[in-house]
Amino acid sequence: MNYKLNTKDASQSKESIWTGLARLLPLMADEWRNIGIAFSAIALTSAMALTSPFIIGHIVDQFIAKGDYPGVFAWSGLLLAVFLVQLASSYTQTRTMGGVGRRILYNLRNAIFTKLQELPVAFFNQNRSGDLISRINNDTDKLNQFFAQALMQFLGNAFLITGAGILLLVLNIKLGAAALVPAVLVLIATQVLSPWVKRASFKSLQTLGGLSGEIQESLANFKVIVAFNRLDYFRQKFAVANEVNYSASVSAGLASNIFLPLYGLAATLGTLIVLGYGIILIDAGDMTTGLLIGFLLYVTNFYNPLRQLASIWSSLQLALAGLDRISEVLALQSDMVVVPSDAVVSDAVMAFENVSFRYPDGKDVLSGINFALERGKTYALIGPTGGGKTTTASLMARLYDPSSGTVRLDGKDIRAYTPEVRAAKIGFILQEPFLFTGTVRDNIIYGNPAYIGRPDAVLMATLESAGLNSLLSRFEGGLDTSVSSSGDAMSLGQKQLIAFIRAALRNPELLILDEATANIDTVTEQLLEDILKRLPPTTTKVIIAHRLNTIDNADAIFFVNAGTVTLAGSMESAVDMLLNGTMQS
Amino acid sequence: MSVQEERKGPSRSGGLLPLLIPYWSWIALLVALTIASNALNLVGPQLIARAIDSVGGADYRLSTLVVEFLTLAAGVFILTYGQSIVQTVAAERVARDLRARLVDTISRQDFAYVQTVTPSRLLTNLTSDVDAVKSFVSQAISSIVSSFFLIIGASILLLLIDWQLALAVLTVVPVIGFSFYYVLSRVRKLFRKSQEAIDWLNKVINESILGSSLIRLLNSQASEYTKFLEANSEAKSIGMSILRMFSTLIPIITFCTNLATLVIVAFGGHLVISGTMTLGDFTAFNSYLGILIFPIIIIGFMSNVVAQASASYERIAKVLVSEAPKPWGNVDVELRGDIAVEHLTVRYGQRDALDDVSLVVKAGTRTAVIGPTAAGKTQLLFAISGLLVPQSGRITVDGRPLTDYDKQSLHRQVGLVFQDSVTFNLSVRENIAFSAIVDDASLAKAVETAELDDFIATLPAGLDTVISERGTSLSGGQKQRIMLARALALNPKVLLLDDFTARVDARTEKKILANVSANYPGITLVSVTQKIGPVEDYDQIVLLMEGKVLAVGTHEELMHSSPEYVQIFSSQQSTEDYELQA
Repeated sequence: MNYKLNTKDASQSKESIWTGLARLLPLMADEWRNIGIAFSAIALTSAMALTSPFIIGHIVDQFIAKGDYPGVFAWSGLLLAVFLVQLASSYTQTRTMGGVGRRILYNLRNAIFTKLQELPVAFFNQNRSGDLISRINNDTDKLNQFFAQALMQFLGNAFLITGAGILLLVLNIKLGAAALVPAVLVLIATQVLSPWVKRASFKSLQTLGGLSGEIQESLANFKVIVAFNRLDYFRQKFAVANEVNYSASVSAGLASNIFLPLYGLAATLGTLIVLGYGIILIDAGDMTTGLLIGFLLYVTNFYNPLRQLASIWSSLQLALAGLDRISEVLALQSDMVVVPSDAVVSDAVMAFENVSFRYPDGKDVLSGINFALERGKTYALIGPTGGGKTTTASLMARLYDPSSGTVRLDGKDIRAYTPEVRAAKIGFILQEPFLFTGTVRDNIIYGNPAYIGRPDAVLMATLESAGLNSLLSRFEGGLDTSVSSSGDAMSLGQKQLIAFIRAALRNPELLILDEATANIDTVTEQLLEDILKRLPPTTTKVIIAHRLNTIDNADAIFFVNAGTVTLAGSMESAVDMLLNGTMQS
Repeated sequence: MSVQEERKGPSRSGGLLPLLIPYWSWIALLVALTIASNALNLVGPQLIARAIDSVGGADYRLSTLVVEFLTLAAGVFILTYGQSIVQTVAAERVARDLRARLVDTISRQDFAYVQTVTPSRLLTNLTSDVDAVKSFVSQAISSIVSSFFLIIGASILLLLIDWQLALAVLTVVPVIGFSFYYVLSRVRKLFRKSQEAIDWLNKVINESILGSSLIRLLNSQASEYTKFLEANSEAKSIGMSILRMFSTLIPIITFCTNLATLVIVAFGGHLVISGTMTLGDFTAFNSYLGILIFPIIIIGFMSNVVAQASASYERIAKVLVSEAPKPWGNVDVELRGDIAVEHLTVRYGQRDALDDVSLVVKAGTRTAVIGPTAAGKTQLLFAISGLLVPQSGRITVDGRPLTDYDKQSLHRQVGLVFQDSVTFNLSVRENIAFSAIVDDASLAKAVETAELDDFIATLPAGLDTVISERGTSLSGGQKQRIMLARALALNPKVLLLDDFTARVDARTEKKILANVSANYPGITLVSVTQKIGPVEDYDQIVLLMEGKVLAVGTHEELMHSSPEYVQIFSSQQSTEDYELQA
């Protein structure tokens, strides 16, 4: 299955803003009531904002022009009332709509994270972690900025524009229509220009992802860069990415900045039309000066929010471009589903039936593998590097599904188990140990419901009875030693020790050790062997190692090479195979 | 508000303004365009007032109005778009140059610096912190300039039209200013907290990406989700608090503006009725009020952008002014390979990784370093290759202190094969010839020595096959041999191997070590290893434990003198026969 992102070309994202926004609909499911309230408030605010120029116009025409003081004050009181209503409704609107935005963002982040958790390991192997991190951090942030700042203004302004537009037409259809002509022209221009702006924004986000990928890769491996005198190379590669990002960002900036001046132009033209046409109407006696003043205010009320929309428009395009990149992740489906059970009676705890595996790039790793592992026995996988040992082990734990054939766990297709059951049955100590930021304790009980939230005494008792407590002395602060997921403060050997304790504590039925002790000294390793011996007699062990002493006690040895898995009769024959076998590498 | 801003402004943007000096011509152009376009905007209401006052007058001509207005519209359009172009280009240049300066500074630092500051922090500096500074240039400068210009301009015009009404209207300005000051001083704290919540979120996301295999094996997606939910909920609740502040602020500001309108209607109405003001002036007054209030709101929001930008720039500046590591000397000679470590102490946090370590490695000899997990073996190799600066003690090569050498020359001649495999998202060729000086012959020799020929032959594009960042389709041993070839391609005089054999099978290991001796005669070898068997015939074996040298000697000597060595040896005895065969 191909999970590679970034295959999509920026020019493909031509869909309209509505398609983009429609993607957000499922995330708004619980919000319709709040959206209703917010819309009512927005409508009320806009109505009040539209009423005030009308009142002002009335005051000018009816009272100021006629010198009627009491009228001025009475109607000013009304104006105050309108302003107070507007105060209340605009508070409700900001509060409710802002809340809706926050919650949508919250749901969106949760949705992405859930999706990330659903996707198989292959997804993470096929994509650069720097780009992935940028996609999740920077791109959701663009959406966040839109939700936090622009969404409400967007809706409020849309209301104001609609209301002012309708009022303009109602007050005087001819003058109103004339006033709206520049707006129509500018909206058509927006339709034409938007795809260009969005493409430019998408491109600039893409180059930002590339830039951050470049930086991430270089900084994470800084020691190699220093030790191999490649600082110049780091600078050059960065300079290229920086320059690419610069030109993409300038293009995006030039594209998204076109709207504001354009809308400003429309506003000035709108005013000019009203003024000129209005004066002609007044001269002809079809209009009063007061009405014209009011009309001018409505034109301002129509075009000002439109100009604000223009300034939000670019942030909307950027948010939509970010949403595109997020949607790319959300649209991926894991192909590692749970299939219906097809139980076969079997003594073997683990069996491969005609298993073949091939990477998406087409490289064959395993072909037609058959073997069965008996319960309680210890197996060793040996063979030259690149022969397929890790892949075989990964298939046993369903990190990948075979390209063809069946992997059986306790007689059942491994794909028929729920992840909970499978995880409880199989323990796998990975070649590259990974630690979460926290303490040694956090890491050894990680993902183990039996100890999470229980007192230390329970954990210590188990550690002691399993003989694991002696390993804790390798950490200066014992269980409380702090651990960081990044950084080299802890040695590879120490990380392997934690991974070992973590797996042994889970007491799995099948325990796979993939060069799990490669960087641990042989004295400590003997200790680990003792611990393994104390595991229940039903525990099946699969050990991958280069150091032969590690696999000395194996009941059977499999020689894995060039896509085949062969049973070696004895240790001697295994060594013989290793010496004389055809080498893949 | 404006007073507050002026008083606080310089201290807040203090660090930011010097940053802009190299771009003074762009900034000057930006300010000029901003002022010009705003000045033109102020003309608008004047034109409207004249037009309305002249209604019915004989001297009025419609065509004049049209010409004036169209000129105005064209002028404003050109000036505002010009301003956008200038500010976009200026902002992106500032961002690009700032990033380049950051990278330049980082690339002059040593490995220890990057480790201490942490790569993720530097990544934030290079991305979101630079972005914040960019927003300052692209939004804040022109907004603040035009806001002050408009406030001052509109106030003067208001005062000119009718000073009494103007003073009455301007009383709302301090009210707005105070509301902003009150809310923003509180929101700033929340913004900081929200930034921390985002950091937390990012950490959870990053770990869930890097630990994806483990999470799937343990089926601990639910617990990862709980962690994420906690961070996300925190971010949401801080966001809600910020929202509460702003949802009070904005309506109050609008209300104050409306109150000013009310003052104009009531008090201005009085003035019109009493004949001290024309109806046109009354209309213009209303328009100018709109012009006056909006920039006040803008300044309020922009003060936030400025605050965020200066906070970010502070973080960036810390990197920029960070002390460069002590410069090394410029001795650039061919090394023989005599290494002496004298009383070396290296501290990691509270713990001594190496404690008063001394040892001598003669040129052309082979030395093995053996010891338990976390004994300080890796730190020793890092110190010899100059990646790590010791707290005390010194290292000499050919009798000269390490730091007398030209750094590049030393790195070229001392090859280090790291314990963990690092492959870059480049072709195999570029991963091995990871240096400008590697020629094809050296590359071929390194590939052959590391026994990579057969493997490379299986790759679809041979040496030019691009391997992914985490080298997915490569096995642990293949990656490690690429690392070895990378070090050998430099034709080093000294080769440091950090647990190189851990992931390579015994047969390949033996072949590779024989290849090294044959292809790189006279090379000085220091090898950190767990297996005694392959190193029994080495010139010396160093036993390192908890940062101290426990014993030094040949295999025979140590077997007699060091009980710890004997213990390690016997722990490997059971299969020693096979190892020897292999």
